[in-house]
Amino acid sequence: MTKGTPDMTSPRPPAVEVRNLSKHYGDFVALRDVNVTIGAGEYFVLLGPSGGGKTTLLRTIGGFHRPTSGEVLLNGQSVGHLPPDKRPTTMVFQAYALFPHMTVTQNVGYGLKVAGLRKDKIAEKVDYALEQVGLSQFTHRKPHELSGGQQQRVQLARAIVLDRDILLLDEPLAALDAQLRKDMCLELKHLQEQVGITFIHVTHNQEEAMTVADRIALIANGNLVECGNARDIYRAPDKTFTASFVGENNMLSGKIATANGTSAIVDVAGARLSVDTRGLHVQDGQPVNLSIRSECVAIDHADAAADAHSIKGAYTESVYLGLTTSHLVRLPDGTEMISRVISDTDDGLPEAGAPLRVTWKPSDIRLHVE
Amino acid sequence: MNDYDNPLLHKLKWAYLLLVVTTLMTPVLYVMYVSFNANGFGANAYVFTLEWYGLIFSDELLIGALRWTFMLAVVVTVIAVPMALLAAKYYKSANNKLFPVFLLLAPLFVPPDILGSALLVFFKNLNLTFVWLGDLLGTTIFDSWFRLSFLTATIGLIIYTIPYSFVVILITMGRYRPEQTEAARACGANGWRAFWDIEFPQIRAGVFSACSFTVILVFNEYTRTSLLKGGFDTFTTVLISQMLNTGMSPQSYAMSALVSFIAIAVIGSIILFTMLRADSLSRTARAKAEPVMS
Repeated sequence: MTKGTPDMTSPRPPAVEVRNLSKHYGDFVALRDVNVTIGAGEYFVLLGPSGGGKTTLLRTIGGFHRPTSGEVLLNGQSVGHLPPDKRPTTMVFQAYALFPHMTVTQNVGYGLKVAGLRKDKIAEKVDYALEQVGLSQFTHRKPHELSGGQQQRVQLARAIVLDRDILLLDEPLAALDAQLRKDMCLELKHLQEQVGITFIHVTHNQEEAMTVADRIALIANGNLVECGNARDIYRAPDKTFTASFVGENNMLSGKIATANGTSAIVDVAGARLSVDTRGLHVQDGQPVNLSIRSECVAIDHADAAADAHSIKGAYTESVYLGLTTSHLVRLPDGTEMISRVISDTDDGLPEAGAPLRVTWKPSDIRLHVE
Repeated sequence: MNDYDNPLLHKLKWAYLLLVVTTLMTPVLYVMYVSFNANGFGANAYVFTLEWYGLIFSDELLIGALRWTFMLAVVVTVIAVPMALLAAKYYKSANNKLFPVFLLLAPLFVPPDILGSALLVFFKNLNLTFVWLGDLLGTTIFDSWFRLSFLTATIGLIIYTIPYSFVVILITMGRYRPEQTEAARACGANGWRAFWDIEFPQIRAGVFSACSFTVILVFNEYTRTSLLKGGFDTFTTVLISQMLNTGMSPQSYAMSALVSFIAIAVIGSIILFTMLRADSLSRTARAKAEPVMS
């Protein structure tokens, strides 16, 4: 992991700037020197494993945690001293955050009531917000009379009705079932496009992140590992962690045999593989990691010509996953590689233990030094 | 009872429960029985009358005692319940819960006469110190601050009732999700507004129960009140001193029965209301629980 991550800036005018932010709980470091800039009107996703620090970062932006060091600027103003109710943010929580003693209308209108708006104005804005989330027919229900998806929509309506600049979403779909989560992802994306405010969304689910994000920041072990648009994060991960966390990448460990400027030869499991150095500075003998997405790996006969973009192995098994089938191949050093193909037939599959060769295009393998 | 329970054992459990309740309530029921006897306690002949109830309000000693006790109950409740509420809120947010819970519940484990005597000695010494301070400053203004009085009894009863209120409120607070307070803050409410609008309505039952409990505890309390109030002029102390010296008057039985009737009615109403509300909520939820499109 990097220490003192570079500033991950956005091309848009900044709505949120996080500068050298650290958060410690005694000896435990929840966030370490995080820098990130989130543009106004951007849908920004904080993605990472549980306990990585993404929720801590979100809650620090929202004013629910005080940073140990560093600062948070919202719309250019430092807000470190402000409590949540004084910030231009609002928040959607994972679950349990609707007020159970209030109806849907009262929940959505609560922030407006606190702000001192007239009753007729509140009613008008609440109706519009509920219409936006498709809940106009449930106005008099209490939260326990709604499904999980409806409850999260009420939370969304309660947040967007306030017309704040920044909406923080803390794993808003985590408590929903898979199908509902997919539907809600698209709804969230469309809602963000409709209202045009900045959404900062925390999730550990990469599919959810890919669906909604303009940009994704990967957070793990308190570090902001990598930040970029969804396609780049998936197709061209820079760091080893990103490659291992996003998508289904085959991770190979090896040593640089020869480095010659733009390309390098890497010793991996008895094979010599050629890889583009991507401008990374590497030296002979340096341990490195390589990643290849599983859908870019093909299986060939064992007697196929050996080259610098293939490696020998033994077939292990196939796993049928519906749309795709994963073929598992064990390399001589014990590493398991996956080749994922769209196929609905088991015909012609090798026997378990049969020797074969896995291959890929030269542009599909990536070198990682950290 | 489930399908595999032994019916006889089931009946025995109910009989046992009834026996316990009867044991607990028999003395109260006996006082009620005596309060309606025109011949009073211990008489051979039982003649039903409401006369003693009519005479309650002409017994100045009893009415005065009731007034003092009622004032003590109100003041102690007004101070102790908010203090217990704050303590429960602190406890919920504290990382180390063992130490605060030990501190708060400690008064429960000290015998009442020991705690009462300790407070008596403490107030006596405090009073002497204040008198000495007044003498030093040439004023008598501090002379009565910590004489045994309503104030010292109030302090003693607050110490006595806070642990009970704390436990009662904490039980209700256990169901409250702190995310709701954060959601209210995210909606623009400050800390107090979030508490009052969101948290309090959900823990209200516990707070009101704590209030009822505190009032009942103050009415029941004898040891601390008799040691710290000065003068046997509260409800329980009057009844007990009467009983010890001259025997209770028929009006005292009537007053005791009346207070018991009121306490039973209040607690019964709370239980009935809670049961009816739970039943109504469950019926509403069932009625609305038809499949909903997400």
